[in-house]
Amino acid sequence: MKQQASTSTNTIALSAGSYSFLARVKPWAIQALIMIAPFVVYGLFLLCYEVNPVELYVSMVKSTFGDLYGFGEVLLKATPFILTGLAAALPAKAGLVNVGGEGQLAIGALFATWFAVFYLNDFPAWLGIPLMMIAGALGGAVWAGLVAVLKVKGRLNETITSVLLNYVATFTVGFFVHGLLKDKESFNWPFSPEIASSLRLPIINGTRLHIGFVVALVLAVLVWYVLTRTRLGFRIRVLGSNRLAAERAGMNINKMYFWVLIAAGMLAGIAGMIEIAGIEGRLRASTGANFGYLGFLAAMMAWNKPLRLIVTAFLLGMISVAGNTLEISSGLPSSSVNILMALVLFFILGSGRWAKR
Amino acid sequence: MIADILTGAIRSGTSVMLASQGELVSERAGVINLGTEGSMLAGALGGFAVTVWTGNPWLGALAGGLCGLLIASIHAFLVLSCGANQLATGLTIMFFGMGVTAFFGRDFVSQQIVGFNPVALPGLSDIPFIGPILFNHDPLTYLSILLVPLLWYVIFRTRVGIMLRTAGEREEVLFASGVNPKLVRYLAVLAGGFLAGIGGAQLSIAYTHSWVENMTAGRGVVAVALVIFASWKPARAMLGAYLFGAAQALQLTVQQQGLAISPFFLFMVPYLLTLLALLIVERRKKSQTPEALGRVFAGEAGG
Repeated sequence: MKQQASTSTNTIALSAGSYSFLARVKPWAIQALIMIAPFVVYGLFLLCYEVNPVELYVSMVKSTFGDLYGFGEVLLKATPFILTGLAAALPAKAGLVNVGGEGQLAIGALFATWFAVFYLNDFPAWLGIPLMMIAGALGGAVWAGLVAVLKVKGRLNETITSVLLNYVATFTVGFFVHGLLKDKESFNWPFSPEIASSLRLPIINGTRLHIGFVVALVLAVLVWYVLTRTRLGFRIRVLGSNRLAAERAGMNINKMYFWVLIAAGMLAGIAGMIEIAGIEGRLRASTGANFGYLGFLAAMMAWNKPLRLIVTAFLLGMISVAGNTLEISSGLPSSSVNILMALVLFFILGSGRWAKR
Repeated sequence: MIADILTGAIRSGTSVMLASQGELVSERAGVINLGTEGSMLAGALGGFAVTVWTGNPWLGALAGGLCGLLIASIHAFLVLSCGANQLATGLTIMFFGMGVTAFFGRDFVSQQIVGFNPVALPGLSDIPFIGPILFNHDPLTYLSILLVPLLWYVIFRTRVGIMLRTAGEREEVLFASGVNPKLVRYLAVLAGGFLAGIGGAQLSIAYTHSWVENMTAGRGVVAVALVIFASWKPARAMLGAYLFGAAQALQLTVQQQGLAISPFFLFMVPYLLTLLALLIVERRKKSQTPEALGRVFAGEAGG
């Protein structure tokens, strides 16, 4: 199959004119079809529930690009997806499947809140916010460290351990918001006290969008730079594409696995910190629920390429915001857009053989 | 108290056990299915819904199995026919299952059913200590216990079993002997989804008698982990599932005793125990992973 494809492209490239045009258009057409198909299928699903899909899609685009506030909301939603997406994409380049972004985000949020509530209350913003971010990264690193140790020392598959640890992370956060971190003035509601207002991330006027989005963008570019432009990145990619070659080249594979996972955990942990300092202001048991999984999906949609990930995270952000619209305008639960997200992914996964470049 | 925990081990371990037997069949044929979680959720909801509508838990269990099979068919199609990555597809299906069941399950939250209740086997259940532990369960649990030796027999003693195992080890051999490995894998994944679906249904119509959003809470993932723990052997997967069930039962018992341990620590125990079990097994011996597992059709023979 592969050989056939490459020979045919060769002939096309050699011959002139319309052939090369076709060769250029076809992959794009297939890609476009793959992106449109899930929306059509989901539209049929909506029709069964007497919701007009065209109206939904139009309002989705309108609410995204119609005004600054809406655009900000989508970027806001995309922010954690970029970071948890990086937490999946970076290890993927080294041949690891980290599904632990969910738990790493949760523990990052826990560490960040803990530090904010108990130590950073009186700190000025310029010092407090970075320290809180470090705390978040540390939390994510600790959780990813568990996966890394189990992988390197225990030889356990990181996919399964990271998913299992996601559940443990959720219960850990539950333990703290019901106990040591519980707001004493909350009339028994299980959430942490609010963090100091000086620790809240600055927002752009007229929106709810905060500086965390820029952090996510910078980190995505940084990961892209490291992966594609540095020796370290080259070594990571070699390890991911051919473990045997990496071993022969004398790389310390376990060490690389370990640190790649730690870096991934830090990225997801920062996402947790941003959720607290940027939006929620306090830790709840449900903070960031599903963000890790959605980030993983965003990374897969981007074929684990950090810059493309920004686009796919934006797309998922749009769909998430549309979920709220859907709930308000037609009474369907917002979880029903998860169906759309999964459909988008099914089509992408199923098309892998033809569309992957 | 010990008797309570052991009874609970079987009662709450059954759903995981059924799912892990299904996953075992699928992995024996070479396909990892993390979508087991999605199949269980679909089975739990589908089984519950049909029990609500018909009042017949047997129909519910069957529907649960079919719902699980339906979800697994997506996995089979994407992995086997489209060549998609197994882990990625499985995770997407896990997520899909959460979304779909949250959506369709909305109206079933807080509904009541009669469902399956424990049936004490006459005579046997009167045996002191052992009787109540082993012989006072819902019908699905009895059937699931019978399933284990049956599966062992099919996998290791029949022609079908040989085909299944060959599909997971050396598909070329199967292909050369005129059997389509893809077909074998399709059937194995579908069978696995069916069992996971019944497992999910057992959770909703026999164990809790209710539907709650995302109620499987990772049992599907645990089932996948247990198959590794069991080194692809049915009886050991059963043991692992009951161990998980025991941890769940322990948690309930401790809570009832009013001991001053945070319930959240107790919730973690089953998952940590699963990790620990994996660690111990990995330490002990070389893994007996089916050779073609996860790399299905990387070098497809002529197909």
